[in-house]
Amino acid sequence: MLLNQFLGLAAILFCIGVYGVLTRRNGVMVLMSIELILNAVNINLVAFGAYQGDVGGQVFALFVIAVAAAEVGVGLAIVLLIYRNRRSIDVSEADLLQG
Amino acid sequence: MVATLLGILAQIEQAPFVRPAIDWHAVAPELVLLAGGALVTVFDLIFMERGRKYIPTLTGLTFLAALVPVLTLWDNGIARSLFDGAYITDRYALVLKALFLLSGYVIVLMSTNYMAEGDYYDSEYYQLISASILGMLVMASSRDLIGIFVALELISIPAYLMAAWRKRDLKSNEAGLKYMLMGVFASAIMLYGMSLLYGLTGDTKLRSISSAIADQGTTPIITMAIIFVIIGFGFKVSAVPFHTWAPDTYEGAPTPLTAFLAVASKAAGFVALMNVVLYAFEFQPEIAEPFIWLLSAATMTVGNLIAIRQTNVVRLLAYSGVAQAGYMLAPLAVYEVNGIEASASAVVTYLVIYAAMNLGAFAVIMAAARRTRSGEIDSYRGMLNWAPGLTVLMTIFLFSLAGIPPFGGWFAKFEVFRVLLTGNTFSGVSLAVIAAVNSVVAAFYYLNIMKNMWFMDAPEGTDQSKLKIPSPLVAALAITLIVTLVTGTVLAGPLRNATDFLAF
Amino acid sequence: MGNVAEVIVFLISGAIVLGGGLGVILNRNPVHAALSLIASFFGVAVLFISQEAHFLAFVQVVVYGGAIVVLFLFVIMLLGVDRAEQVRVEQLSMQRPLAIVTGVMLFGLAMGGLFLSGPGGEEGAVAATGQQSAMVPIDETEPNVRQLGLDLFTRNVLAFEATAILLTIATVGAVVLVRNEGAEDLVVDEPGTSIG
Repeated sequence: MLLNQFLGLAAILFCIGVYGVLTRRNGVMVLMSIELILNAVNINLVAFGAYQGDVGGQVFALFVIAVAAAEVGVGLAIVLLIYRNRRSIDVSEADLLQG
Repeated sequence: MVATLLGILAQIEQAPFVRPAIDWHAVAPELVLLAGGALVTVFDLIFMERGRKYIPTLTGLTFLAALVPVLTLWDNGIARSLFDGAYITDRYALVLKALFLLSGYVIVLMSTNYMAEGDYYDSEYYQLISASILGMLVMASSRDLIGIFVALELISIPAYLMAAWRKRDLKSNEAGLKYMLMGVFASAIMLYGMSLLYGLTGDTKLRSISSAIADQGTTPIITMAIIFVIIGFGFKVSAVPFHTWAPDTYEGAPTPLTAFLAVASKAAGFVALMNVVLYAFEFQPEIAEPFIWLLSAATMTVGNLIAIRQTNVVRLLAYSGVAQAGYMLAPLAVYEVNGIEASASAVVTYLVIYAAMNLGAFAVIMAAARRTRSGEIDSYRGMLNWAPGLTVLMTIFLFSLAGIPPFGGWFAKFEVFRVLLTGNTFSGVSLAVIAAVNSVVAAFYYLNIMKNMWFMDAPEGTDQSKLKIPSPLVAALAITLIVTLVTGTVLAGPLRNATDFLAF
Repeated sequence: MGNVAEVIVFLISGAIVLGGGLGVILNRNPVHAALSLIASFFGVAVLFISQEAHFLAFVQVVVYGGAIVVLFLFVIMLLGVDRAEQVRVEQLSMQRPLAIVTGVMLFGLAMGGLFLSGPGGEEGAVAATGQQSAMVPIDETEPNVRQLGLDLFTRNVLAFEATAILLTIATVGAVVLVRNEGAEDLVVDEPGTSIG
């Protein structure tokens, strides 16, 4: 196995993620595509860490995973907020029409 | 199974954990801010609603308290290094820490009335601001990819939340969503670049990366890594073409937070960019410089051209902030000729002065909006009648932003031009010409606001009584005014000496 | 012998990773996309094990597969599968062809960067990327978790503490943001009040 093969895999996954971010119009799906990019980063970090004989790559990947969890939590909170406000607008407009 | 466990236990006994040596004085500003933030939270939990009105004051005091160890460290003057050079507290970092803490204080002053009068969760808002400022303090000292990444996220994640803080307003929510998606995407791209940098050099410390890639020479993969990392930071400093989030987010977010994003958060992005470019890519100017040159030229030109067409003051300041980011990027495009210290010094000087004048302009906008309830430039007509003091202040801040002497902005631009022209290189001179043309263009739209305030009549039915400005906002205006005035005149020399002292 | 097994593991998990990734960006149904995301995450976990990063593989499954995707699915279900499409980002989306061009260009750049860097000599001076990937534990005398822990609490202790603050503050902020104030009406602010 060559290091190249892992990096190539990560590069393809990265490009898939970037494509997803650019084409998806839905906030949740954009977040999922970003997760793909972060996984490409983690593959890179772990493969490089093993190649360099250094545990630092795995530690970096651990930080990426922890921060990604926070990002997703915050992102989904904002999505939920928007959804709730949109729905309230729809409802109030419907009420006006009925009155 | 048991045998393996026993084996593991035996190993643990063989090599006991050695606590890393920590220089507590070097991390004292961060610790004071952290302890202060925790105390404010406890205070809030004990007194609940009764204590609400003291929270902004206490948060502000926390920022000022964290400034004390910054001053003692400055007085001490020794560059301190923690974790084998991964965390460095030198004078460069201290100037920036003082800048972040003071801008944080001014932003708290600006938020006080805004948050108290609106229907917000205010104590959590101040906690988020404190966390974000804490991230900036960490960023100023981090010389390590992991540290920079974590600090950047600690700055950004509270900012995503605060951009959507006007919960009931769809515009604010969408501002938050757009800022968040763009920011997370940018950090993902930056991380991809960082993973390549780590892999090629086997270390996350910027100094080791610098020497390792200098040994390897420039390969395509290193080029790619450098470009990805710079693109990631380009989003944070709203450089063109990665600026698209900025105007919408600035318009939708609560105004104090807009000031926070336009000043503190952007400054932190610049610090990250400077640390990485000047430390890690010191010996790769042939890749980093042309790329930053392009970003800088595009940023100032596009920012100014779009700013001319704006009719809303907040959007106008957003685009003018984009253009200003272009000026700040410029010294980083010529760091090879001048040496990294000169470039860093020019950027830091610009950041300090930009923070003062831009925060001042936002404070005026907030004060005026208490009457106009609008951000349209038209609503500023006849402001001379109902708020003469504000009119004069706004004029000073706008003159300063346009770079007219004797205000601070003039000295900031002067330092940038000095660095650009010193080496007498083609890239430096051409960028200086572009910057000069842009400064003239920018003067047009700043003057347009002033024309509305000084010479146009107020629309019919405007309340002509004198405007009362709450005292925290007056304090914010006073601080920013003093800094804007002194940095352009009496303190210009000392400021240059202080920033020249940046011990890299 | 071992080499063949490695290649087979790599090919299968790589196919799962990429298949899952394609599933995420091509599925119209958000639930199917989230399930593809799980598949992709598991494939990555297998790759981690093949690189002797056992603890990380475990974290990958627990945090990504267990927490993040469940959170995604929870929100999608809360919004309603058909409604989830409505939470759109207008400005961010670009023309599909432009995205394809960007993706292909990035792919070319990445591949070019990786393989033009040359096969790399024994010294690895030209490029690391043509090198043999390591398939042995970084330090065989110590368990993986212990190495990670030691590194985390010595070199990176400051970043570790910063991450702790980050997670706390993100939780606080997210809770405050989505908290529903009892039976209050959700009224939209009047336009123009974003200033002031």
